[in-house]
Amino acid sequence: MAARLALAARIRPIQRLVYLYFRCLGQQMKAILAYEADFVVMLFSAVIVQIAGFLFIWTIFQRIPTINGWTMWQVVMMYALIFVTEGVGSLFFEGTWRLSNLVYTGQFDQMLVRPLSPIVQVLANAVGFNGLGNIVTGLVLIVIGILNTPVHWTPGRLLMLVILVASAATIRVAINLGSAASAFWIKAPWSMVPMFVHQLGEFAKYPITIYSVAVQALIVIAVPFAFVSFFPTAFIFGVEAWSIQGLLTPLVAIYSVVIAVWLFRVGLRRYESSGH
Amino acid sequence: MGRYRKYVSIARTSLEITFVYRAGFVLNMLGTIFYVVAMFYLWQTIFLGSSNALGGFTWPEMKAYLLVSFLLNSLMTWFAEWNMSMDIKEGRVATDLARPMDFQASRMATAFGPVPFEFFSALVVGAIVATVFGGIALPADPLHLVVFLFSAFLATLIKFGLVYCVSMTAFWTTGIDGIMVGRVAIQNIFSGALIPLVFFPDWLRAIAAVLPFQGMISTPALTYLGKMDGPTTALMICVQAVWAVGLILLGRLVWRGAVRAVTINGG
Repeated sequence: MAARLALAARIRPIQRLVYLYFRCLGQQMKAILAYEADFVVMLFSAVIVQIAGFLFIWTIFQRIPTINGWTMWQVVMMYALIFVTEGVGSLFFEGTWRLSNLVYTGQFDQMLVRPLSPIVQVLANAVGFNGLGNIVTGLVLIVIGILNTPVHWTPGRLLMLVILVASAATIRVAINLGSAASAFWIKAPWSMVPMFVHQLGEFAKYPITIYSVAVQALIVIAVPFAFVSFFPTAFIFGVEAWSIQGLLTPLVAIYSVVIAVWLFRVGLRRYESSGH
Repeated sequence: MGRYRKYVSIARTSLEITFVYRAGFVLNMLGTIFYVVAMFYLWQTIFLGSSNALGGFTWPEMKAYLLVSFLLNSLMTWFAEWNMSMDIKEGRVATDLARPMDFQASRMATAFGPVPFEFFSALVVGAIVATVFGGIALPADPLHLVVFLFSAFLATLIKFGLVYCVSMTAFWTTGIDGIMVGRVAIQNIFSGALIPLVFFPDWLRAIAAVLPFQGMISTPALTYLGKMDGPTTALMICVQAVWAVGLILLGRLVWRGAVRAVTINGG
C-alpha cells in the first residue's frame, strides 16, 4: 500500500504536467486558428518545402542508381525523418524558439511566478502549424518509401518503427530545448544559437557515410542528429553495417532529454530579469 | 545627384546596423556553411562514384557552381525581407508614407546596403570551403568574370524585386514567415541553387525556363563557368534584365493597391 501510494505520488505530478501542458498549448492553438489565412499559408509552405526537397533527391537519382550504396527511398526516408521530427518540434514545442525573446525582453519573469515548471511553460508557449504540414508530408514520403522497398515486415519491426520515430522526435525536441537554454547566457532578441545548432541537421538529411570522420563525430556524438534520421533508417531497412546502432536510438533519446533539462536548469539558475 | 543622397545614407545606415548585429550575422553565416559543406560532400560522393562527367559538369566545375550558388544566396539575406514585412505588419509603414521618399527606393537602399559586407564574408567562407575540397574551376576567360559580375548584379535586382513583392503580402496576411519559407523552397529548386537545371527532366526544365528564378543562380553561375555560347549568354542576360524590371514594376503596382487598402495597427 505504501509503495503504491509512493508510486502514485510520483506519477500524479507528471500527469498534471502533461494535462497543464496541453491546456496551455490549447490556448495557443486557438490564438493561431483565429487567423485562418495564416494557418493555411503556413501549412502549405511546409508542404512546398518538402516537395522541393523530394524533387531534389529524385532528380539526383534519375542520374545515378545509388549514393554510396544507399538507394533513393532510403535517402528519402532520412530526409523525411528530419522533417517529421522538425514538424513535431514546431507543432507541439514551438515555444523553445521563443525563449530567447522572452529572456531578452524580460517576459520570462511571468513563467517564474506561475506554479508550473518553466520547462513545460516554455514548451507550450507557441504552436507552429507549419509542423502539421511537415508531419503529414514527411509521413507520406516514409510510407511511400517503405512500400517501394522490399522489407520483411514483422510485428516486431513495425513496433520498432514506431519506437524509433518517437525517439527521433524526442531527440530533436531535446536538441531544441538544450540549445534554446543558451538564451540564459547569450542575450539576443531571436534564437541565434538554436538556429545555428538546427542547421547542423542539414548533415543528417543524407547518409553519414558520405562524410569525413570529423563530420560524422559531430552529428553522432556531439549533437546526435544522426540518430534522428540515419540510424533509424538503417535499422528499418535492415542495412547490416549500421542497423545495430539504430537500436541505441531510444537510449540516445533519454540521454538527450537528460542533458537538455540539465542545461535548462543550470541556465535558469543564472537568470536575472532584464530589468523592466 | 542630390535626389539620391538620402537613399545612399539609408543604405549606409543599413550596413551599419548589420555591423551592430554582427554576432548574429556571423552565426547565421556559419550556419549556412553546414548546408554548403553537406552539399559538397553529397556531390563529391556522386561525382567520384560515377566514371564520367554528369550533366556536362566535371567535379571542379560543379564545385565552382555550388560556390557561386552559395555566394549569390548569401546576398540580401532574410533580414531585409523580415524587416520589410515587419514594418508593414506592425504599422511602421505609416511613418514611411509621411516621408518625402519613394517607398520602394528606400527599401531597395536598405536591402542593398549590407550587400558588400555579405559578399565579402561569403567570399571568405567560400574560399575556405573551396580550399578544403581541393580548389574550384576558375573562369576560362577574364571576360566571363566581367559578364558574371554583371549577371550577378541583375540576379540581386531580381531577388530584390521578388522579395519586395513577397513582403507586400504582409498587408493581407500575418503569416509572413510561412510565405518566406515557401518562397525560399521554390526559389532553391527553380533557380538551380540545389542542382544545375540541366539535370532536370524536360518537363521540370520547361517550368524553370518560364519562371524568374533561373536568373537568380543558374544564369550567373553558367556565365561564370562559360557554359553558354555568346548569343545564348546575351539572351539569358536580357531575360534577367526583363525579369528584374518586371518584378520591380510589379512591386510598385502591388504597393499602390496595398496602400489604398491599408489599415494601420493601433492607428
